[in-house]
Amino acid sequence: MSQTLTAQLKYQATLITRTPRAFIFGLLVPALFLALEGKKHASTALLQQSVAGFVVFAMLNLVYLTYAAGLVLAREEGVLRRWYASPLPRWQYFAGRIIAYVLMADAATLVLLLVADAMSGVHLTAAAVGSVLLAVTIGGIAMAAAGTAVTRLLPPGQGAYSMLALTYLPLLVLSGGFGQINGLPHWLTEVMSYLPIQPTVSGVVSALQHPGVMPGRDLLVLLVWAVAAMAVSVRCFRWDPSRPAHARHTPAPAPVTS
Amino acid sequence: MTSAIEVNGLVKRFGPFTAVNGVSFAIASGQVSALLGPNGAGKTTSIEIMEGYQSPTAGTVRVLGTDPRKGGRAWRSRIGLVLQSTSLDGQLTVAEALTLYAGLYRKPMPVADVLAAIDLAGDAGTRIGVLSGGQKRRVDLGIAIIGRPDMLFLDEPTTGLDPEVRRGMWQVIEQLTEHGTTVLLTTHYMDEAQYLASRVIVLANGQVAADATPAELRAKGGPPVIRFRPPQGSPELPAALSNRTLSGSDDLIELVTWARDQHVDLTGLEVSPPSLEDAYLALIDKEER
Repeated sequence: MSQTLTAQLKYQATLITRTPRAFIFGLLVPALFLALEGKKHASTALLQQSVAGFVVFAMLNLVYLTYAAGLVLAREEGVLRRWYASPLPRWQYFAGRIIAYVLMADAATLVLLLVADAMSGVHLTAAAVGSVLLAVTIGGIAMAAAGTAVTRLLPPGQGAYSMLALTYLPLLVLSGGFGQINGLPHWLTEVMSYLPIQPTVSGVVSALQHPGVMPGRDLLVLLVWAVAAMAVSVRCFRWDPSRPAHARHTPAPAPVTS
Repeated sequence: MTSAIEVNGLVKRFGPFTAVNGVSFAIASGQVSALLGPNGAGKTTSIEIMEGYQSPTAGTVRVLGTDPRKGGRAWRSRIGLVLQSTSLDGQLTVAEALTLYAGLYRKPMPVADVLAAIDLAGDAGTRIGVLSGGQKRRVDLGIAIIGRPDMLFLDEPTTGLDPEVRRGMWQVIEQLTEHGTTVLLTTHYMDEAQYLASRVIVLANGQVAADATPAELRAKGGPPVIRFRPPQGSPELPAALSNRTLSGSDDLIELVTWARDQHVDLTGLEVSPPSLEDAYLALIDKEER
């Protein structure tokens, strides 16, 4: 890894660890819910579904919500503008940021699995933990890429945070993240299976039940989302802050390419 | 002497609005130039094109011999920027931010030297988010200079800062220019332009209204300006002298005659060429008519 990419990774990790919101919503809240919720389930299958849901909830809070909201904030504060004009290859800014957030999601996953093991009695093998981390990593990259792409549409300030929460929480619920919902129309479950959250939940459940490689279809959906969202970001990402109406001679979007 | 910046026939339109309309100038290497003009004159648009943030609608721009929109990593490593507003991560400490940016350049200035230059050595471990506005602006300047840039763009670098901080930033900029850095400065403070710049380019309505040294611009600003505040207790100035800016020999003779007749002390009398601000305001007034 190049020196500048390593420095970016360290920089982004520093920012995350100094963002209380990342710790609270990416670890503390999911861990608390998991500890309370886990005890309710008598069957192992339901327990594993619950653990998978909270692992994905934590991952989304980090790599989608906090990641994308932070990106909007950095844009509005002019931080991205400065990076754009610096000698840093532009892809390295995103690579450093995404890797840092995904590693944080992996770390949060490990903590949640330990909580599950201690409080809920889920028996975890090393293979299961490795498989869960793999699913979270792949799902995290897809969601971070999606988060990068949607920043183009997000309003500045606190509005970005609310909009992001609105886009992923309903999808997490409909994807079975907080327990399977019976009676959903077939077309809806079909649509969910093509969005990136359901395959991640499914991948984590599968990893807990049958440690090994993720189901091929889930893996494919996530990879397609990651590539497509990155392509959209390269084309549409905006480095410049929003300008007040009186000064809105908006320049053409600058490409992400270095 | 080679040109660090060459701008030829620059035009920038935003829909029906023309922000920059046929601007041309060249700036020699090592020169400090000030780009002046009222709000909406096209300064920021022009500087953003030179920095590579925007593309021109027409015309050509070369900065250090390169089209800024095509400037790669090597070109960007020769450019330093202080943007119009602060652009810093509040969670980082001053030293962390400077170290991070220093890592992007081949031969950066030592972080300790930059901290000393921007007078923040005592705050190296302080998070940027808790610094005052002036201190943040100095961090901006520190990041801009840490890569020893050949070309430094300063977009209103001292707006809103107290005089002491402004003086400190001027000294840092002066030290840089001694090492051959070319500086393009935009500012609303005429004393700043007067102090730092050897050349002034005034934009008005998207066009170059003047391109001269500060002394030349002042000389073009009209006759000498007369400033006089009568001492306390002296009779009031006649209406013909008190309701306008006094300038030229006739006004001076009239004032001195009045003072002699009224036995008024002329200790506070000043006669000087128009200041850069007087000349600038006269020029903008003429352009806007």
